[in-house]
Amino acid sequence: MTIREFKLPDVGEGVAEGELVQWLVEPGDAVSEDQPVAEVETDKALVEIPSSYDGTVKELRAEEGEMVPVGDVIITFEVAEEAEEPEAAGESEAEEATEAEATESEATEAEATEAETTTPGERVFAPPSTRRLARELDVDLQSVAGSGPGGRVTDADVRAAAEAGTERRTAESPEPRSVTFGSGTPAVSRREPDEPTVSRREPDEPTVSRREAGDRTARAVERVAEERASSRAAGRERTLATPATRRVAEELDVDIDDVPTEKTREGEPFVTAAMVHDYAESQRAAAETATEVEAEVGSVSEARAAEAPAETLAPEETVEATGGESGPVPGDRVPYRGVRRSIGEHMQRSKAEIPHAVHYDGVDVTDLVRLRERLRPIAANRGVKLTYMPFVLKAVASALREHPYMNASLDEDAEEIVLHDEYNVGVATATDAGLMVPVVRDVDEKGLVEIAAELNDKVERTRERTIGREEMQGGTFTVTNVGVVGGEYASPIVNHPEVGILAMGAIEKRPTVVDDDVVARHTLPLSLAIDHRVVDGAVAAEFTNHLKSSLSTPERLLLE
Amino acid sequence: MVVGDVTTGTEVLVIGAGPGGYVAAIRAAQRGLDTTLVERDAYGGVCLNRGCIPSKAYITATDVAHEAATAEEMGIHADPAVDMAAMRDWKDGVVDRLTGGVEKLCKANGVDLVEGTARFTGENTVRVEHGGEGQGSETVEFERCIVSTGSRPIQLPGFDFADDPVLSSADALDLDTVPDRLVVVGAGYIGMELSTVFAKLGTDVTVVEMLSDVLPGYEDDVARVVRTKAENLGVGFNFGEGASGWRDSADGGIVVTTETEDGEESSYAADAVLVAVGRRPVTDTLDLENAGLEPNEDGFLETDDRTRTERDHIHAVGDVAGEPMLAHKASAEGIVAAEVAAGEPAALDHQAIPAAVFTDPEIATVGLTQAEAEEEGFTPAVGQMPFNASGRALTTGHTDGFVRVVADEESGFVLGGQIVGPEASELVAELALAIEMGATLSDVASTIHTHPTLAEAVMEAAENAMGEAIHTLNR
Repeated sequence: MTIREFKLPDVGEGVAEGELVQWLVEPGDAVSEDQPVAEVETDKALVEIPSSYDGTVKELRAEEGEMVPVGDVIITFEVAEEAEEPEAAGESEAEEATEAEATESEATEAEATEAETTTPGERVFAPPSTRRLARELDVDLQSVAGSGPGGRVTDADVRAAAEAGTERRTAESPEPRSVTFGSGTPAVSRREPDEPTVSRREPDEPTVSRREAGDRTARAVERVAEERASSRAAGRERTLATPATRRVAEELDVDIDDVPTEKTREGEPFVTAAMVHDYAESQRAAAETATEVEAEVGSVSEARAAEAPAETLAPEETVEATGGESGPVPGDRVPYRGVRRSIGEHMQRSKAEIPHAVHYDGVDVTDLVRLRERLRPIAANRGVKLTYMPFVLKAVASALREHPYMNASLDEDAEEIVLHDEYNVGVATATDAGLMVPVVRDVDEKGLVEIAAELNDKVERTRERTIGREEMQGGTFTVTNVGVVGGEYASPIVNHPEVGILAMGAIEKRPTVVDDDVVARHTLPLSLAIDHRVVDGAVAAEFTNHLKSSLSTPERLLLE
Repeated sequence: MVVGDVTTGTEVLVIGAGPGGYVAAIRAAQRGLDTTLVERDAYGGVCLNRGCIPSKAYITATDVAHEAATAEEMGIHADPAVDMAAMRDWKDGVVDRLTGGVEKLCKANGVDLVEGTARFTGENTVRVEHGGEGQGSETVEFERCIVSTGSRPIQLPGFDFADDPVLSSADALDLDTVPDRLVVVGAGYIGMELSTVFAKLGTDVTVVEMLSDVLPGYEDDVARVVRTKAENLGVGFNFGEGASGWRDSADGGIVVTTETEDGEESSYAADAVLVAVGRRPVTDTLDLENAGLEPNEDGFLETDDRTRTERDHIHAVGDVAGEPMLAHKASAEGIVAAEVAAGEPAALDHQAIPAAVFTDPEIATVGLTQAEAEEEGFTPAVGQMPFNASGRALTTGHTDGFVRVVADEESGFVLGGQIVGPEASELVAELALAIEMGATLSDVASTIHTHPTLAEAVMEAAENAMGEAIHTLNR
């Protein structure tokens, strides 16, 4: 046995140090190569640091919460001899001698372990076209986990690897396995910087009377619907798949024509074994949720009968306190670091540099509510959940086009106002780590369903922190949906260097005057903050008027 | 620079118009590169003119005669007469058609053809000496060069190809009479293919081989099928003997002498001796040192996976770039070289290169053998289907041999295949595709194969490897 030191690797992007958030192993634990041993948070991302060795944890050299410079030894391992040396070999001659003395059984053991963890012959199973694609995208196939039968690497796997930027960890400096996202761009926009609570499920959907009692029931039922949607049978007539995939489908009792897919071969839907597995899984999950919810609905009805309707948010969906189970408790001093600090500094800069002005208004969205109800099942048939957000984004793009100074940036150094020719709208998204703003590009050129699908995907990946940093850059305007948590009006902070940010309140029935009668109508409160250096209040009002006309008469969006 | 020289410039210069060179030239031209192809002898190289194609022509022609003469069991009685000169003319016609096609294709794709021998005169220049006295020469300046000069047969000491009775493989494919007695030196694939051809033409063939078996490099059970069949055709084998020389004999023929390692001598009477002891890369005509290059110990130009030599702008493809010396390998490398020259991310990343031996029966292999798979750390699952259990094989009268499939037991990925038997050279294509695509045994076994065909044996072998074969006993 020999001791191997493991240094905090360069996690990329010029990061010089990281906070050791959490150890995932303890001394004495057996670890295998690539197994995550620690979570390290830098100001760019939260990353898992994988072990480079098969062996046993000997010593942890850093405390949780400590800032560790790149290159410092953070952990040591006891490694059996012959276990493949990712670290520069021959650290010392003496060590080699010790290694040579290792007992034969140890050596055999190590070889056995190695045989299990490495692909024989370093072979990667991927078709020639995929291998070429990997070269084109500069992806090391060895580092790609294949989703095909037996782990075969597909084009999609390679593209995903390219997007995730998962370069092969070199032996010298193992890179983190799950680099998630950075915040070189504004991760930002809400007022409530430390707000930990957010509905996990549909933060971009203005809530319709969410806080009424019985809401929980409605939500639970909706969840079933969602689960079903995700496991919805595609019901095609014809599906392409390899024979091995068909066999998997048979084994899992799945009709291959029902497996959702976006892939095609020769213009025909194409299904992989991984998709079959996912689908089988989602069906099981849907069945389970349905059962759970029946029970839940029952108990809620009982509870409602017993007490006054005072619930606010469904407990299981609300609080994601920062830190999770072992998180800080009142009385602690929580370090101001990482993503939290990155958000904070950005906010500070925006608020300090930009003279804000906020314009408030409200719009009757009764027609929009109806339209969305009609379109929702159609979108669902295409496998897309349609919220209000895509309508708002389209309306925003239309208004931005009318008001180019709202789709601009102030370049102070050049003393110029840059009018953007793209309509890239960021959507503020709450995550466990804080606010992130994934960007939907070219909103003006995309259809509602397309926007909905893209947005759902990006929001989900933002929450999972698997979104690429480039997908959070290049925004020209930001929308934040405060209403999903609650409230009507807000004073959002402009997402520097953009000029405007729109906060949406909750869509609820509110007293509205129609033909001289006060009636209950669905309305949407709007709060538009602007950079007063670039535009004046009148522009903010005109911009909001344009939004109102689009959202109150959503047919107008057809003309976009 | 020589007085009277003309200097021309080209983006890509390809030296040698064999299956590596002409393919590279056409692909380079297709990619919009200004391409010049220099050939000193014949378009199509050894493969088309003196190798693969003429030998296959003879193999097929002699098979026709042999089949007709040995089909009594099928109720056919025939005694075919073979006109060797006419057979040669037919073969020449095939060759002309193909080489003419290559020339036309090159021209149609905009490749400039230059006849002559190219020698490096600098890192970016060659001088092309046109064939024949007084034909002059020209200097060609290039940005990138693709060397595809191929290989030539190795000459044994004491056996000069210039002497009439000493035949190279090329000479053997250009005879106008059938020798009565032939000694073949070397039992590699060329020696075995040509021994079979001449045995079928009625020649008394004696094979002399230094090693202990035919077809070194092939598995014993594979080689054995071919050896047994050759012996049945009347080919005599003498292993452990090296040819040491030859002399004229009194009967107008020759005597070939051999020697064992222990110094034991033997002699064989013959009319001609065919020397087929391997091939050596051609680099001596190139003046490589002027380009700053040097062949390695084995005479090859070493290349990386983008076919680049030590000088990045000079590529080498085909036989001159290393084993295996196979035309299809040369072509694959030629394509990569041209695409790399065009700035594309092409690379030699194939999992396997298939190889075929056109003996009777044929041998074709691709990927790993069972032993190689074990060496690489796989736990191989191996399945086999003998052709004597194949309906289609029975109807062709050729039931020797088998299909073997080697896969990774855990994942099912097909790793290799060895086929010996009728049409093995065609059947191997399916396994090559399976290997490149990362297909599993289950993929091959679950793909419906036409009945009745020899290809079903591939499916059966895959099933056998899974322990699920119908027509063979699973092991």
